[in-house]
Amino acid sequence: MSERSGLTVAERLGMVNYRNQGRSDARAHIEVDTDICNSTCPHKCTTRVCPAKCYTLDEQGNVHFQFEDCIECGTCLYACDQGAVTWRFPHPEEGRGVNWTLG
Amino acid sequence: MEEKFDCIIVGGGIAGLSAAMTLARADARFLVIERGEFCGAKNVSGGVLWGSDLARLVPEYWNDEAGFERYVSHRRLTFMDEQSAFSVDFKSDHFGETPYTGVTVLRAVFDAWLAGKVQEAIDASAHPDESFLATDILVEEVIQEDGRVTGIRAGDEVFHSDCVIIAEGVNNLLTRQIGLEKEYVPGDHVAVGVKEVLKLDAARLQDRFQLNGRSGLTNEFVGACSDGVEGGGFLYTNKDSISLGLVLGMNDLRDKGKTPYDVLNGFKAHPVIADMIRDAETVEYSAHVVSTGDIKGMPSEIYGDGVMIAGEAAHLLLNAGKAIQGMDYAMRSGILAAETAIEAKKSQDFSAAMLGNYRKALENSYVLQDMRSFQDAVHLLHRQEMFSTVPDLICDFGRQFFTVKSEPTPKASAMMRAAIKRHASYWDLVKLGFKGATAL
Repeated sequence: MSERSGLTVAERLGMVNYRNQGRSDARAHIEVDTDICNSTCPHKCTTRVCPAKCYTLDEQGNVHFQFEDCIECGTCLYACDQGAVTWRFPHPEEGRGVNWTLG
Repeated sequence: MEEKFDCIIVGGGIAGLSAAMTLARADARFLVIERGEFCGAKNVSGGVLWGSDLARLVPEYWNDEAGFERYVSHRRLTFMDEQSAFSVDFKSDHFGETPYTGVTVLRAVFDAWLAGKVQEAIDASAHPDESFLATDILVEEVIQEDGRVTGIRAGDEVFHSDCVIIAEGVNNLLTRQIGLEKEYVPGDHVAVGVKEVLKLDAARLQDRFQLNGRSGLTNEFVGACSDGVEGGGFLYTNKDSISLGLVLGMNDLRDKGKTPYDVLNGFKAHPVIADMIRDAETVEYSAHVVSTGDIKGMPSEIYGDGVMIAGEAAHLLLNAGKAIQGMDYAMRSGILAAETAIEAKKSQDFSAAMLGNYRKALENSYVLQDMRSFQDAVHLLHRQEMFSTVPDLICDFGRQFFTVKSEPTPKASAMMRAAIKRHASYWDLVKLGFKGATAL
């Protein structure tokens, strides 16, 4: 059923209220050692399981990560079994992260 | 900071606030630290708060306009194939009696409301100026001295207390930091929850779902909704919106190479779901890790010297097919942790031996009793047959049984045998049925 159209991730994230939305220098709360993703990881699963598509593959098949769209769900904290993900909660003042309206 | 609190609670979600309410009523001096801008700002759930503990915390909460969305008066479990839905459906007026046994909630609304009630309890306590609900502060470290937890650090600030209740949620970094949980926890016993909240005005929603006043529907789904991935779907009615989502097994999602948002789009496009959400507009998309209820997912221990772990930080959750119980477990564990802290205060003993009474109380409560007695059901629900073969077979039977053709009709038993033959081996099904009968 996955082929059917529906809302895109970008459209969905457009509804999310982020903290420090206008701030370009927000402190990253998740660090990803993409060298691990792009060398020894057999599955690169974060590029699929992350509900906010923070992990993407480029045309060469390399993993890229950005924390700005992260909705703090914790999926990559559990899904990455390669030790590439260092996960913290965002800093309330200087970090990014969500501010749910409904939750 | 010179002062020392009786208790510091990390996390102002349901577990933390339930602990706080219990402490406030006992006139304790405590500090709740929530990293969100307000309590609920970081929380996501399906979400139904089952059970009746809320009435213990906030008596006659049903007279309060705010807080919960709807009480559950109508329950439905639906098996799906690509085209069909076969439901077990139960609706009863008795669900309207208070205290309710289930209410739907939106956490950013509900937790903020509950925090307000906790503040009222603080104001009415013997130490209104010595207990605090502090938001927008991130606890970065649990402080240990000689293996004993003595407080927390947030930025440059250190706060001390006789004991700490960690109620940080399923992404339990502090629980890991103090060694009660492994540093890396694999995805074996967790799932990914994704959800949309869809707006539909209250009058239309009530007409569409045959609701009345504050009554509500909960509908869980298994089968085609999860596109072959272990897990299931849910639809809950709120005041003027619908919560629609999926819970997908972490490892199975990973292994099958699917994405949660595409599976969610497929679920929404299913003809049965499309009819239920027509003209409802998505206003929020959210996601969160959720425990699966496997008791093996719990931390190695849920207490230590000066510390207790409550709620989903302790992976307290059960989905045995009847209901997804997480928030009520958070509530009860928060209450029990606080009661243990109060007893510990009386004897000025905050050692692991004393705080182990929290574990005992939890073992004696319905939380760990049910988690223990329904483990077989948890394992059964995670079998591949339960989200493919069984729903397909049930829907196939339904299609034969409910279709009236102008030709001789086989008996239902013959239809069932034929459906089984098309989808499974009869013997495997008997074994599965036997397991199901004993597990539930």
